[in-house]
Amino acid sequence: MNAASLPSTAFVNGPRISRLLAALVLVAVLVLPGRAFAHAALVATDPADGAVLTQSPARFSLTFSEPVSPLVLTLVRPDGSQLALTSFRLKDQTVEIDNPETLKSGTHVLSWRVVSVDGHPVGGSALFSIGAPSAAPVAGEAVDWTLRAAIWAAKLFLYAGLFLGVGGAFALAWLADDRRCGQRFVASALLLGLVGAPVSLGLQGLDGLGAPLARFAAPTVWKTALETSFVWTVLIGLIALGLGLLSLAGPPSLRKLSASAALLGVGAALAASGHASAAEPLWLTRPLVFAHSAAIAFWVGALAPLGLALRQQPADARAFLGRFSRAILPVVAVLAASGIVLAIIQVRQPAALVHTAYGRLLLLKLALLLFLFTLAAVNRWTLTAPAKAGDTEVQRRMVRSIGIEMLIALAIFGVAAGWRFTPPPRALAIAAAQPVSIHIHTLKAMADLSITPGHAGEVAASMMIMTGDFGPLDAKQVTLVLSKPDSGIESIKRPATKPGDGTWRIDNLVIPLPGRWNARLDILVSDFEVVKIEAPIEIRSE
Amino acid sequence: MKTYLLAAGALCALGTNAALAHITLETQEAAVGSTYKAVLRVPHGCEGKATTAVRVQIPEGVIAVKPMPKPGWTLQTKKGRYEKSYQLYGETLATGVKEVDWSGGNLPDEFYDEFVFRASLAADLPAGQMLYFPVVQECGDATDRWIEIPAAGQDEDALETPAPGIKLLPKK
Repeated sequence: MNAASLPSTAFVNGPRISRLLAALVLVAVLVLPGRAFAHAALVATDPADGAVLTQSPARFSLTFSEPVSPLVLTLVRPDGSQLALTSFRLKDQTVEIDNPETLKSGTHVLSWRVVSVDGHPVGGSALFSIGAPSAAPVAGEAVDWTLRAAIWAAKLFLYAGLFLGVGGAFALAWLADDRRCGQRFVASALLLGLVGAPVSLGLQGLDGLGAPLARFAAPTVWKTALETSFVWTVLIGLIALGLGLLSLAGPPSLRKLSASAALLGVGAALAASGHASAAEPLWLTRPLVFAHSAAIAFWVGALAPLGLALRQQPADARAFLGRFSRAILPVVAVLAASGIVLAIIQVRQPAALVHTAYGRLLLLKLALLLFLFTLAAVNRWTLTAPAKAGDTEVQRRMVRSIGIEMLIALAIFGVAAGWRFTPPPRALAIAAAQPVSIHIHTLKAMADLSITPGHAGEVAASMMIMTGDFGPLDAKQVTLVLSKPDSGIESIKRPATKPGDGTWRIDNLVIPLPGRWNARLDILVSDFEVVKIEAPIEIRSE
Repeated sequence: MKTYLLAAGALCALGTNAALAHITLETQEAAVGSTYKAVLRVPHGCEGKATTAVRVQIPEGVIAVKPMPKPGWTLQTKKGRYEKSYQLYGETLATGVKEVDWSGGNLPDEFYDEFVFRASLAADLPAGQMLYFPVVQECGDATDRWIEIPAAGQDEDALETPAPGIKLLPKK
């Protein structure tokens, strides 16, 4: 997501607030820290990557190209269990880490994530073995559940502020005659959002760095957060929440104007980041997310003021109910249409609904929606007419029904906030297609080897060959040899062809198993001279 | 064929398959400053195909090379400048044979043959070390290259296609 393309959505859809937004965005762009280009690079590790030690080392060290500060240092034991390394010292560009325990024999992984002076986090790992190498341990996906819960809750707060707060303010300004009913509720929701928005941003920074909740106040965390697209959601969201408050408490002449601007702000805020807004084609998904969010805010936001008005001043609420029921049909149509198109873009194949976490959350949301739509339809077509006519019994039923609708809406927000943790099938498909690349550098020759896609199955290999000092190497022949001694599979040996663009290629190569393979390139430099270079390459599972 | 396979299997089991499969030199040791008769032993073709050419690269320090002609094969040499000049029987040699090619022949996979040349090993070659003669074996459109030279400390048996070599002995 790039910052420059973002506000255009807001301009197209919100001409009235465009000038205000433009000014704010300009200010935001000016105060955002300049992006850093230099990253710290790992220069050396002790133990060296791939080293076999006779005994457990007392400490580890990592040397970088520039001074760094460690964020997360972890040792993965041969059995896959993890040990957080918390005791370390900084010496110029070297991080010295104490080893708190005597390591058992087998292969360990020292995993590190540091942040350099420019604020850019980098991570990597080094493998070493005690005694003799064993199969490389696979670190279990360590999920920081406290952080996840915090992210989820903050997101829910933000949703409450944007949908119940801003949507409520809009309903009060445009649909209700008497603003007293539900005003306190709407104001509370707006305040929730004002808390949730900045907290969400900080948590986003923590999550981006893989840092624990305890580092919430660290400047690097916020610096990282400011470099994500989510900062736009928070910024525009805060503006929308502020406009919502203005509409509640400001001068009456500004009520409708600021409420409209706030509602458009909700759409713009949610279109500024997130899975759905990042899906191609952007010209379609961004406006759809905008419309979807604004429609949710209109509908769900009106529920609380309407319910409270019906309960407290049924006579005055009739006009409110009339306006709402006239507007709601097109709004729900927009909501459903945009939701369906977005779901199709994200899920792609029906099977992914069941097979992926994202799809299962979508099914749960659809089930809740079905319930919500049923209630809403009953309200609209069965209860609205007698309620408007003044049937108090029906009005009471309607209030109860609206209460339940609100609870379901909250549950749906909760499900939607859960999407934060589940990449959509669309993104999973893109990730699976990513190549895996290695760089092999020796005195005699070097090579860049890419295997596309980087998972087991049918792949294509592409190789760039150069001399050890970056000069051209006009090889007579290049042969790729893939071996996996621990699997009992014979090594795969395939000659490469030269398509004429300076690379060497092998098409229709089949890698039968995922895991750590050894890739060797036999480069025939001249009739009588061959150079063999090799390095391990990690092949993902399909 | 069955007997051959059995024999091959037995040899594999005995761990001498390297000698069976590769192109090697018959005499595996020679003193520096002496005359060496190199006999390249070609035990089989390339993956079952008949051998049609054998080309050997002459390493630096191996001078005054004279290959032995072979009936049915066209013998050619490629000459070039040595990295330095050598003294041999009072003469100064600065150029000489760098590559010997026997081509145009036909040695079926199931037959064995030898390719011979004679040369002088310069007196200043490092005694105690190995000297390698990379060989390219051509079988029509297939090629086997016996050109791998072990890196320092590397076990020669680990190489798939090692170049034939001799151990240099001290000058007698």
